[in-house]
Amino acid sequence: MFVYEKRLQYPIRIKQPNARLAKAISSQLGGPDGELGASLRYLNQRYTMPTPELKATLTDIGTEELSHLEMIGTIIYQLTKDLTVEQIKEAGFDDYFVDHTTGVYPQSASGVPFTAAYLQSKGDAVTDLHEDLAAEQKARTTYDNILRLADDYDVKDAIRFLREREVVHYQRFGESLRLLTDRLDSKNYYAFNPEFDRACFNKKQKK
Amino acid sequence: MLLKKISTYRFAAYDLQLFLDTHPDDEKTMEQMRKYEQLATPLIEQYESKYGMLTKNESDGNNWAWIKAPWPWECEEDR
Repeated sequence: MFVYEKRLQYPIRIKQPNARLAKAISSQLGGPDGELGASLRYLNQRYTMPTPELKATLTDIGTEELSHLEMIGTIIYQLTKDLTVEQIKEAGFDDYFVDHTTGVYPQSASGVPFTAAYLQSKGDAVTDLHEDLAAEQKARTTYDNILRLADDYDVKDAIRFLREREVVHYQRFGESLRLLTDRLDSKNYYAFNPEFDRACFNKKQKK
Repeated sequence: MLLKKISTYRFAAYDLQLFLDTHPDDEKTMEQMRKYEQLATPLIEQYESKYGMLTKNESDGNNWAWIKAPWPWECEEDR
């Protein structure tokens, strides 16, 4: 169960609207490496994880991604507030505007709506953790690209925070993978699935 | 400013909690995490008495207060 806190994980206060930048950043809401996909990926993968450390890490990071989704939504909302039709046309925001006005909608920067096909829950902890590590790097690259496009201090400040979190999550997933493989037989690492072939999984942690 | 301080302490505590997920026996980190939690607690009380609640609280029994407190995506001039 989830409890909502009426605050952002990191404060955002954007003074200058910029519809073009909003469209680019919307990819981190509903794009291929965005926060919605991240959250759904981790919160769904966690159920069948074989160790408490993995369940905790996926639950906590999956929940944090929801607060990042809220931060990206806030950035888009603040960047598209009080726009005139002229500004919308000039910024190339008209194709977004015609479908969503200035509502916040999960899609990629190029307009593809969010799809669960962006994520996988494979039911194999080794496989899923490798996807999670890759996902954090892909999101980090997307934030790097956004930082190349953005010239507004308020936007960059929030994006830098989000980028840093991808790096921290990558570290935690790396440790999670290590904790998992430490419990597997080193001779047949990839020969079985630690979530499904329970008999082959060493329940006790090696000291 | 007060909310920024709360968010800073809560974030520090959360980041250490995440570290503890993969290092559950690290007592020093646990101690530090508690320190930040304790720094946040009085500030949250102060904020809630001034600006309205951060979380819906059953003991408040006042939904009106919940809708009155500011929404995190809005700036002051929106309200």
